[in-house]
Amino acid sequence: MRTNLKISNVTKIYPGCIANKNVSLEFESGKIYALLGENGAGKSTLVKILSGVIMPDEGQIFLNNKALKLNSPIDAKKNNIGMVFQHFNLFETLSVFENLIIDSNETRENLRKKIKSIMEKYNFSIDLDIPVLNLSAGQKQKVEIIRCLIRSPEVLIMDEPTSVLTEQETIELFSSLKKFSEEGILIIYITHKLKEVMSLCDEVAVMRKGELVSISKIIDEKIETLANKMVGQNLKTIKKKKLSKVSSDQLIKITNLNFKSEDPFETNLEEINFTVNRGECLGIAGISGNGQSELFQVLSGEIISDKKSIEFNKNFIGDKNPQERREYLMAFSPEDRLEQAAVPQMKIFENVALNNFKSSNFFKNGLINENKIKQHAKKIISDFNVNTNNIELKSQFLSGGNLQKLIIGRELITSPDLLICFNPTWGLDVGAINYIHETLIKINEQNKSIILISTDTDELLKLSDKISVIYKGKLSKKMNADEVTSEKLGILMGGGEFD
Amino acid sequence: MTVDINFIGLIIASIMASSVPLILASCGELITERSGVLNLGVEGMMIIGAISGFALMTVTGNLFLAVIGAMLAGVLISTIFAFLTQTLITNHVATGLALTIFGIGISAMIGKNFVGIPGKEFPVLFGGLKDSIPFLSPILFGHSVVFYFAFALPFITNYFLKKTKIGLIVRAVGDSPDSASNQGINVRLVRYLCILYGGAMCGLAGAYLSMIYTPQWIENMTGGRGWIALALVVFSTWNPIKILIGAMIFGGLTIIQFHMQAIGVRIPVQFLTALPYIVTIIVLVVISRDSRKIRLSTPSSLGKSFYKDN
Repeated sequence: MRTNLKISNVTKIYPGCIANKNVSLEFESGKIYALLGENGAGKSTLVKILSGVIMPDEGQIFLNNKALKLNSPIDAKKNNIGMVFQHFNLFETLSVFENLIIDSNETRENLRKKIKSIMEKYNFSIDLDIPVLNLSAGQKQKVEIIRCLIRSPEVLIMDEPTSVLTEQETIELFSSLKKFSEEGILIIYITHKLKEVMSLCDEVAVMRKGELVSISKIIDEKIETLANKMVGQNLKTIKKKKLSKVSSDQLIKITNLNFKSEDPFETNLEEINFTVNRGECLGIAGISGNGQSELFQVLSGEIISDKKSIEFNKNFIGDKNPQERREYLMAFSPEDRLEQAAVPQMKIFENVALNNFKSSNFFKNGLINENKIKQHAKKIISDFNVNTNNIELKSQFLSGGNLQKLIIGRELITSPDLLICFNPTWGLDVGAINYIHETLIKINEQNKSIILISTDTDELLKLSDKISVIYKGKLSKKMNADEVTSEKLGILMGGGEFD
Repeated sequence: MTVDINFIGLIIASIMASSVPLILASCGELITERSGVLNLGVEGMMIIGAISGFALMTVTGNLFLAVIGAMLAGVLISTIFAFLTQTLITNHVATGLALTIFGIGISAMIGKNFVGIPGKEFPVLFGGLKDSIPFLSPILFGHSVVFYFAFALPFITNYFLKKTKIGLIVRAVGDSPDSASNQGINVRLVRYLCILYGGAMCGLAGAYLSMIYTPQWIENMTGGRGWIALALVVFSTWNPIKILIGAMIFGGLTIIQFHMQAIGVRIPVQFLTALPYIVTIIVLVVISRDSRKIRLSTPSSLGKSFYKDN
């Protein structure tokens, strides 16, 4: 039997924001549907309504022409709607099997058999008796998918499933999803990644600011047309940066940098050597987990290393902490915006003051000079296009893009000589990505340098002058960006070599 | 010098008897904490149980009723805690502390009329077998039903948490209330029940003190045992079997240091009194050193309020 899912005139209003405005959509099994939109476009709200986590203010959901009342996630489950959330709903300290049996009414033996047959069918291999916290993100996602499959769902909804996956895991996920679709499961795929939509889906619905803006077939669309629909304006496409004249003036020199970790989950760094000149952007590519975060921490001073291993502006600063390094005009934008870069519960203007202790006059006799900080925060907000005018807002309520702009702004307003950033556009929407990219290019044009550690190859090729690849804690030779192709990078990132 | 083997048996039995209230209260609190709720009101709930049990025993003369009444009193006072922390989303730590202060105060008030009244003898099981086997008899036979229950409880608790569906749900709620809620588990209900169960066990622990261990009412008679029970839960890394070990060590050292003080060993009294606390904690820390296992049995959401946003 074919499955038909209909969303009819759904509206959901939160105080101060309309999350979904009169959204109507219809889905048929046998196809993979994409629900596309920027962060905050209302996709997640719609998905939460479909899975019974929240209730709509108006409108109805029909499954096979039967009106559904989804008051809780159980109702969605009972009606054969399966859902894999972006943030996993797993119990980390319970074993995989315990995670799966908790909402099942079957006996242990039957369930185990069922899980085994599902895993065989789709070629999953997961040890059922180890705790979930020992699994990789991709495996955790598979556990979530198995959880849905146990109930033989008619509808499977995936919310931003690839944000935590490696490229290989993404490929595996896509082939599984295609299999599910062939077997008659209706698949709704929520994402803001255009490439994925193009390669996986059959039809695409685009949302913007809570409203549905278009429904179309993938064969009628191109990446650019979808991007424009998503953002609602014609994007200035940034061309690959022209190789600016990089001066021969050396800014930072890393010599024989080593880092040995006691934590088995961290990567050791071995014999890292590189230099960056003024006005240069060095891109460091690699598959995540190959030592990027360790390298970032060593460069930023979160991990102290040998004094002589880092020479910056003719000073040896390997033994300096981040605060002291900032005094030498280095600036940092870490990967995890809400954990490392900003304090989520603190207000915007308070966060702005955090990186700036000595050289500013934010503090007088141990007291906070609030007016001064607020002025400063307002300047950052207007200079860096942060989309809010309330500097009293807690930073956790900023969207990812706005928070990143705020952080980059905070770092750059002191006009540092070197900015080290780690996945600066991770999880951001197209508009914000473009803005950040333009900003980074501008820095280079002002003869300042950047070390860009990123897992996004397109971003690296677009912004870097020189590129190195990190693999298992070792850094490859620097290559000129215009001689590098994604294919070459791919080989190096997989641990291969070429001449 | 020949040591009477029966005498050693008697000492062990008295050590076990003194650890009963700790085991009961800890195992109750363990379930509460495994569901993610930190209830610092153990001491308060115990003392309420102690006075309720003793008062009911004196007034009605019915021991069974008194024990049940003490447990219900524990449930009742923990309901206040549950309502505040789960329905009104107050802070666990502050509410728990308030509960203890409240419990000590109100028990003293009720207890005024019961000071100096002698308790009743609590019936023992297998009393006739007391002299049947040397050494083992005093350990195994002639104890109250609560005593036997207490020593079975850690194993029951362990089985409940590891092998039953409800135990799994309790652990899941303590691990990630958000995920549990998204799975359709009623987090608030589970936590309510776990808090009430903890209250019942603390009430029983209190009743054991005032009705069986030292059958009389003395103001503040729990004497910090509630805090020890709390510490046992944490230092045992939420493992009921280790609670049993910890409670025995604590009970044992308490008894031994009494004897040492009595024979006049030349060690400062303060040090001897502190000894059970220090040694218990050291032993539990040492036997629970595996950080991976700690991570697995620590309820990640412990002490964090959960509320559903709509």
